[in-house]
Amino acid sequence: MNLITVQEQHLPGDSLEKKFEVALEWGFDGIELRSKGDLHFASRLPELKRARDNGVVMPTTCVEMSHFIGAFDPDLRADAVAQLSSQLSVMAEIGGVGVMTPGSYGMFSKRLPPFEPPRSPEEDHRVLVDALGPLAEHAVSEGVELFLEPLNRYEDYLVNRLSDAADLIREIGSNGLRIVADTYHMNIEETDLASAFQDVAPFIGHVQASDSNRLEPGAGHIDWALFGATLQAIGYERSVAIESRLSGPAASVLPPVPQLLRRYL
Amino acid sequence: MAPSVAARAISVLEANWTGSHTLPATGLYPHQWSWDSAFIAIGLRRVSPRRAGQELDALLAGQWADGRIPQIIFDPHRDQDYSPGSQFWQSRTMPGSPDVVDTAGLVQPPNHAWAVWKVHAADPAESTRRSFLERTYPQLLAWHEYLRTRRDRGGRGLASIVHPWESGTDNSPLWDDALARVPGTPQHVFERPDLLHANASERPSDREYGRYFWLAERYRDHNCDDQDTEYPFLLEDPLFNSLYAISELALARIASELGRDPEPHVRRASELTVALGELFVESIGSYGARDVTSGQVVAKATINGVLPLLLPDLPTAETLIATLLGPRFLGSGAQLVPSYDATAADLEPELYWRGPAWFNMAWLAATALGVHGRQDAANELGQNLVRLADVNDFPEYVEPWIGSPHGTRRFSWTAALTLETLRHDGWGLFE
Repeated sequence: MNLITVQEQHLPGDSLEKKFEVALEWGFDGIELRSKGDLHFASRLPELKRARDNGVVMPTTCVEMSHFIGAFDPDLRADAVAQLSSQLSVMAEIGGVGVMTPGSYGMFSKRLPPFEPPRSPEEDHRVLVDALGPLAEHAVSEGVELFLEPLNRYEDYLVNRLSDAADLIREIGSNGLRIVADTYHMNIEETDLASAFQDVAPFIGHVQASDSNRLEPGAGHIDWALFGATLQAIGYERSVAIESRLSGPAASVLPPVPQLLRRYL
Repeated sequence: MAPSVAARAISVLEANWTGSHTLPATGLYPHQWSWDSAFIAIGLRRVSPRRAGQELDALLAGQWADGRIPQIIFDPHRDQDYSPGSQFWQSRTMPGSPDVVDTAGLVQPPNHAWAVWKVHAADPAESTRRSFLERTYPQLLAWHEYLRTRRDRGGRGLASIVHPWESGTDNSPLWDDALARVPGTPQHVFERPDLLHANASERPSDREYGRYFWLAERYRDHNCDDQDTEYPFLLEDPLFNSLYAISELALARIASELGRDPEPHVRRASELTVALGELFVESIGSYGARDVTSGQVVAKATINGVLPLLLPDLPTAETLIATLLGPRFLGSGAQLVPSYDATAADLEPELYWRGPAWFNMAWLAATALGVHGRQDAANELGQNLVRLADVNDFPEYVEPWIGSPHGTRRFSWTAALTLETLRHDGWGLFE
């Protein structure tokens, strides 16, 4: 049975242990962490270890930075790689599954002016492979995984569809690199949610469930029955995380979410 | 770990989904088929009640002004891949045909209201959100009214089929005698794209196809108006009329849900059950098909003639159970119900509807056994259904005794009814 987790910023409480209590109370099984840059995540190691020792379930973390591995600026790229590398090690240390990152976020969209990015597609590709290859190897050596997240066309232009991410994974050829599929982005980018999952099934490492409008599941028009059946069909047994924006106060709108997803998972 | 049979069934249904409906099989059957869609929806509701509703919406979009739900709605991009296609039917030239899609002029067994109810029951909130029952009820009423008026060609209260294709059991031995008086010389030079996807020994012959095309041409050339008094093929099929009666019972439930009067539907189901009584043939312990032209009831034991057992208030239920579990069918040692009498001299265990076992029929038979309290027999049949679908990659049909697969694979209703059998909560009609 898939664990259903919720990101930590949605949970009240001044410690992970207290947040976890609330998560359980709301029907979730665990927490998805958020990992900031400047080695902030590594600085949380004592807190994270204590939470782990106290039984807090936190299998994944979602990177929270202003620059990413596909940055136009080489120094920022290098920093993103260094941060992710550290975050992978932290997750390994607390017995987690992995860390997720997009290619970039908010840096450039081919759907918005000036439409043409300042870098060629070949350079884009090289930049991604150069960053992802070593990070994937590092993940393997740490026994965790790096999850590459396709974002919708308005937020990123480098990796938009699950198949884009799968192509990179095939090229890099490392078990340390997998896809995180986010249903909100999929709703914009994919032709068919079910066939998108089916087509890259062996490469799915993590799943984030958001509705069509990026709100919590149930607040939009994604077909959650189809989502659940498809995860069963592809044999996905890992966690499903709620990263969504919320349609109302967390304490009101989040408790129905695990109930909804459990109908189908 | 190998994916479970349920996982693979879901994957077949997802792979055969087109965006609005499910192909029976991507190669052999490239359009939307009427009774396939209803069987598919019954299983697809376990994947997505929304998709299952869309499946039936897409089918109902092809309804004619006279109420008929056509046998096929054609995909204009695949017209060369199946014969007869939309070029043959030219449906848009016919009065009352839909002007948004090309369809065949024939129909298939009326299992639709039953499927609509089951899809609704799978997620009443989703159904209500989509106004599913409100939208489909008038369409289903019109469909049943077409059958009650235009298709009662024998005047005995049963619907007649006008083509073997309308039975869904195309080359069943039930149609042999009537088909023998149909000329095998159609104008249309027909091709057999079906033979690219299945062995010729597992499909109807060219001789049969010649007669099929002659009939279809004749019906088409009379504008599909059901007024042709010299038309040579009018048969009262026990399965077609049983599904019609079950669908009336489903309409009663839909009517109640919508705050309308269910009584006319319950009454109609009873009338059909009584009228079916005239097709019962004591010597074969099952129902035959009446040839309206000759007035004779064809006395051959087929799966069509056993499945009136689906009807809850059937006076012959015990006899039918004995026949189904006896030497002509499951008592012959078959793993799945043969489509034709296992003791018949002309049984052909690998040829389409002349012996092979089909998964929709097995599911209907298990449901029928369940309706009459034979849970053990129903469960055993259900287990065989799942096992044979599992090991053979959801075949179109199997040889009933060995269980070897035939026809196409990854067949949608096989996957759908496998999933339904795995997930259902008892064998009741309206679960």
